[in-house]
Amino acid sequence: MARAALAQDGGGVQPHLSFAHLVRRFPDGVRALDDVSFTVPKGQFCVVLGRSGSGKTTLLRSVNGLTELDGGTIRMGDMDMSDATLRAIRRKVAMVHQSFNLVERASVAANVLSGAVAEAPSWRVHLGWYPARLRARACAVLHRVGLDEIHLPRRAAALSGGQQQRVGIARALLLDPEVILADEPVASLDPAISREILALLRDVARERGATVLCSLHQTDLAREFGDRIVGMRQGRVVFDGPPARFDAAAEAALYGAAEMPMRPAPHLIEEPVYA
Amino acid sequence: MPDPRANDAPALAPRPPGDWHLPAPYDWRAALAVLLIGLALIWSAQRVEVDRMLRLTGEAALAQVGLQEESQVGRGLGRMFGALFPFVIEDRQEVARLPNLDRDALPRFTRIETIETTRYVMNSETLQAEPVVESKEYLVHPFGYLLKVADKMVETFEIAVWATIIAVLLSIPLAILGARNYTPHPVLYTMSRSLVSFLRSMPELIIAMFLVLGYGFGSIAGYLALGLHGAGFLGKFYAEDIEAADRKPQEALTALGAGKLRVLRAAVLPQVAPAYVAYTLYILDRNVRMAAVIGLVGAGGIGQELKGRYDLFEYGHVGTILLAIFLTVFALDQVSARLRARLIG
Ligand SMILES: Nc1ncnc2c1ncn2[C@@H]1O[C@H](COP(=O)(O)OP(=O)(O)O)[C@@H](O)[C@H]1O
Ligand SMILES: [Mg+2]
Repeated sequence: MARAALAQDGGGVQPHLSFAHLVRRFPDGVRALDDVSFTVPKGQFCVVLGRSGSGKTTLLRSVNGLTELDGGTIRMGDMDMSDATLRAIRRKVAMVHQSFNLVERASVAANVLSGAVAEAPSWRVHLGWYPARLRARACAVLHRVGLDEIHLPRRAAALSGGQQQRVGIARALLLDPEVILADEPVASLDPAISREILALLRDVARERGATVLCSLHQTDLAREFGDRIVGMRQGRVVFDGPPARFDAAAEAALYGAAEMPMRPAPHLIEEPVYA
Repeated sequence: MPDPRANDAPALAPRPPGDWHLPAPYDWRAALAVLLIGLALIWSAQRVEVDRMLRLTGEAALAQVGLQEESQVGRGLGRMFGALFPFVIEDRQEVARLPNLDRDALPRFTRIETIETTRYVMNSETLQAEPVVESKEYLVHPFGYLLKVADKMVETFEIAVWATIIAVLLSIPLAILGARNYTPHPVLYTMSRSLVSFLRSMPELIIAMFLVLGYGFGSIAGYLALGLHGAGFLGKFYAEDIEAADRKPQEALTALGAGKLRVLRAAVLPQVAPAYVAYTLYILDRNVRMAAVIGLVGAGGIGQELKGRYDLFEYGHVGTILLAIFLTVFALDQVSARLRARLIG
């Protein structure tokens, strides 16, 4: 229950991320986000749970502007997301991707350093010669995610999936992000490795006080690692609460084969705790 | 991405699998297209005399193995090949035309040869042809022509290298403007792609002819012509590779707030670099071969020498030049294969 308590502590402080009435429609009529509203307090490990196509990726990508919204507002700290603040927000938000999104032909070192590609001076980026401070940090984060000096010159493609995701996490950590978006970070890994990677993600975020929005489709992993679970179905939030409250009924509401009522049962939403 | 759960997206009204429409691998339009292309090729084969080409080639082959007396192709080519040998490697100049020659201090490696020739001259009184022995002295450098060809070949290689540098430098901005996902504006995209197509469609021989008018005979027209034409290739290939590069790492860096140029450098360049090296080496290789050709219109290099000797029917010299070109291209091939393996491997 320690985790739940931590989450509840967050309820008192100002929300770190807030989503208000997010809507995303695709041209074919699919509503990937259909009036999504919730807030995430600073330092929370918030799992977005739902099966494939429920809108998790769309939600996460709207935070750093990779997906545009048709309606609603996103706030991060005291910044409203807009074209003007997009750059500033992107520099504080890191992303860990489902398929790692590394430059496969580049070395592990280059991949981690590319986490500073927006910050380093332009000539350094173009020469590929990053400042000593960043190179030292790259080694430090690589060590933190469990990789070694021997991995530095290896091509990213030459690593195992789990190691590649460690590099992806190291890249995300390079500039000490405030928010980490993790879009199904373990969907292409086997269960044992998945647990290691999620534990790593949770621990490094906690050490840095970073807020994590992590999408998953496996209930057991969500229960194990989340401070809180936001359940999505067909672009709507149908559950919101600590893992302890994510019971069989909630799971059925999220995954049940039967056609869902368009609005979730009110008792499944725990909004007041996190607002 | 194996996902155990069914998709949550609202789908079309489901139909029983018996009613599903499985797309055919090809349709009647594809079959019709193949048929039309076949007919067009048959029509074209008559225009370009494919039948005659096959008959003559067949005769030449039969003549080779002795099943036929002789063939037109065999005779023509045979005469030409015969004339190419022996390759001329010495340089010989008439002493009479070298007024400043100091006989006591000949240039290194050279010697003087005297050659006597007998001519028959009509004696106007006897009306008989009488032999007249004339002796001519030549200053002979035993491998002087080889040195000259080597020097021209080096010049040709320099033309090819500079042409490649110009092509690469022009292609990089053209490729960025001409890559759909990186162009700053659609108008710039269209302009870049049009310019690249234009450069590619202009034969380098023609560009060189025009440039010779402006820059005069010599290598400037040569490497500019080859560089412009090469930019027509590299600009297209570079741009297409940028467009085809894996989007995922690009998106990862965009999500971190990096601008387009930085994403190009950090996420695209590492992906496209091996192909770029391959294209650029190919253009260098092509430039060496073409530098030999554009010399024909006076744009410097070994081609200029080749054309001069060919016009004077000095086929022995032509043979030496062709051998030099072959050896250079062959050596370049070996070097670039090794370079490619090292850079890509
Ligand atoms: N680019 C797109 N064009 C059309 N539909 C899309 C696009 N991206 C996502 N969708 C649809 O939006 C819905 C939500 O997708 P997504 O956010 O990827 O869900 P999840 O990440 O939970 O699997 C799905 O029905 C998907 O088919
Ligand atoms: Mg997804």
